[in-house]
Amino acid sequence: MDVKFDRFASVAFLAVGVLFMIGSRKLASSSYGSSVGPDIFPFVLGLVLAALSIRLFYEAYRSKRQEARKEKLEYKPFIIIFLSTLLYILTLETIGYVITTFLFLFVCFQTMERNKWVTSLIISAGFSGIIYFLFVNVLKGTLPGWPIWFS
Amino acid sequence: MGTFDYLLQGFETALTWYNILFAFFGVLIGTAVGVLPGIGPMSGVALLIPVTASITGGLPQEQAATSAIILLAGVYYGAMYGGSTTSILLNTPGESSSVVTTLDGYQMAKKGRAGSALSISAIGSFVGGIVTLIAMIALAKPLSAIAIKFGPAEYFSLMLLGLAAVSGLAGKSVTKALIMTVCGLLIGTIGIDNVSGIARFTFDLPWLYQGIEFLTIAVGLFALGEVFKTILEKEEDDGEITKINNLIPSKEEFKESAGPIARGSLLGFFVGILPGAGATLASFFSYLMEKRISKKPEKFGTGAIAGVAGPETANNAASGGAMIPLLTLGIPGSGTTAILMGALMMYNVQPGPLLFEDHPQVAWGLIASMFIGNLMLLILNLPLVKVFAKIIETPKKYLIPIIIAISIFGVYAVQVSTYDLLLLLGCGVLGYFLSKNDYPIAPLVLGLVLGPMIENNMRRALTISDGDYSLFFTRPLSLAFLIVTALWLLIPVLLKKRGKDVVINIEG
Repeated sequence: MDVKFDRFASVAFLAVGVLFMIGSRKLASSSYGSSVGPDIFPFVLGLVLAALSIRLFYEAYRSKRQEARKEKLEYKPFIIIFLSTLLYILTLETIGYVITTFLFLFVCFQTMERNKWVTSLIISAGFSGIIYFLFVNVLKGTLPGWPIWFS
Repeated sequence: MGTFDYLLQGFETALTWYNILFAFFGVLIGTAVGVLPGIGPMSGVALLIPVTASITGGLPQEQAATSAIILLAGVYYGAMYGGSTTSILLNTPGESSSVVTTLDGYQMAKKGRAGSALSISAIGSFVGGIVTLIAMIALAKPLSAIAIKFGPAEYFSLMLLGLAAVSGLAGKSVTKALIMTVCGLLIGTIGIDNVSGIARFTFDLPWLYQGIEFLTIAVGLFALGEVFKTILEKEEDDGEITKINNLIPSKEEFKESAGPIARGSLLGFFVGILPGAGATLASFFSYLMEKRISKKPEKFGTGAIAGVAGPETANNAASGGAMIPLLTLGIPGSGTTAILMGALMMYNVQPGPLLFEDHPQVAWGLIASMFIGNLMLLILNLPLVKVFAKIIETPKKYLIPIIIAISIFGVYAVQVSTYDLLLLLGCGVLGYFLSKNDYPIAPLVLGLVLGPMIENNMRRALTISDGDYSLFFTRPLSLAFLIVTALWLLIPVLLKKRGKDVVINIEG
């Protein structure tokens, strides 16, 4: 357990709780035919969250400083995969499903382990093609298929 | 019409060709999910919701809901079968409810009895599944009959009880679990308030008017969170798969495991009904019980077949038992059932006492399909266990990116919005950090699913009483639920103060 994370989280949760309380003050306090408005539930929840986060801060403060487990985290592949996912999401609607999915999968496969690039190519192409075909042609769903400047 | 007629009708629904296919794919994928370490039943079910939603898109709504829930429930109980395979063969549990199976299962495998361990756990799972189904059929009517008399005040208190139960047992810290629950409830308030029609916390963004879709959150926190964990904490694949020989257990082994299977079914069923206590806890209790009543407790941990039969039966019985409060009361007692409930609500089918009256096809079709599904699992797991054991060898290199791609495809297919995809990715990162720091995720999803219903019932109750809050304490049933809620949260805290170890539930 990382005490630092808990302290940070408790402050963040406190902020969220208080913001929800402030936000719900701005809502109408009654609705038609009822004295109970849409503001009460979120307000009370915000209050409870704020109280709980203070309790969490206290718990994190009291707990003995535990030696953080030294783990070797693989940041490099994570960052590459995270960024390529982000890029994939942002370009999905303009470049279309088939090309983005193919590129995304290929990059990720090679990031996980750099070998057998022919197999990676085949699996990425197969996955993006088959999913697109099944979803759009068989199930009649909507997916942005190809780059917008093609059609 | 009696229960029996309904059941027959249910079989009629479950035996249509496409529903058999749905059940088959459900249990097949479920077994695979159970076998693969890294994907739990929760992320498995969450990932498949959008996929089933697009497959069932062409069917009329009621049939679509039935088929979808048949498949998704199949994944849920199928995972319970599959989880034991890796526990026994590799000493790595495929999901958390099979952790105790490693204790004796792997020892048995080392001694060359892997075949008997696998087949006994498959048989146990089957018996457990069938026993709970029969109990479910018997209990469905009376429970819904009671629940239908509940007013909004009772519902409000009962749902609070459900939330408290899940939070109280969810992780190492009750505070953290409660924080996650409240966060879930708060996220549930975003969007147009369906009583007054006022937009809440939307900051005038049209995307937020519908509210935040539970599917995006669930897939992000569970599936992507687990994927990121696998990428960041790369584990060296170790261990060789033990060879399976001689699948048929000997006569003595059958004799030794008959008792544990019978006790495991009952225990698992009752633990499963309790909100908050899921399959993990059931298998754990069963192991402890078998060890306590065994004549040779010293044999446990060295390959006692009772230590495999009991827990494996109990976890499957519990997964069936957990369906009972979901279907009859509309209160999910665990993360996975919360996701199933969210799936039903996506089809406009509201689980609860009215489910059996309004949507008998869905309710009884599901129950009947669970008979068929369990039978399929028994067949799949006995002769084909070697094939499934091969799934473990799927290289992570291909598995991980494909899970990300399926999540993105699924969320986009249902929501058709880039914002949802960004939220999905954000939830994935958040999910990793939260679960790494012991913030349980299941209560958040439960809060998100139950939140709007809790609020509606609270406001309806208060409207009836004209804003008088004492209503919740003066109605006897409501008061009883609230007292149990308070006890549930307080007792573990008090026990911890007295220095006792509190059993916790670490489900997926």
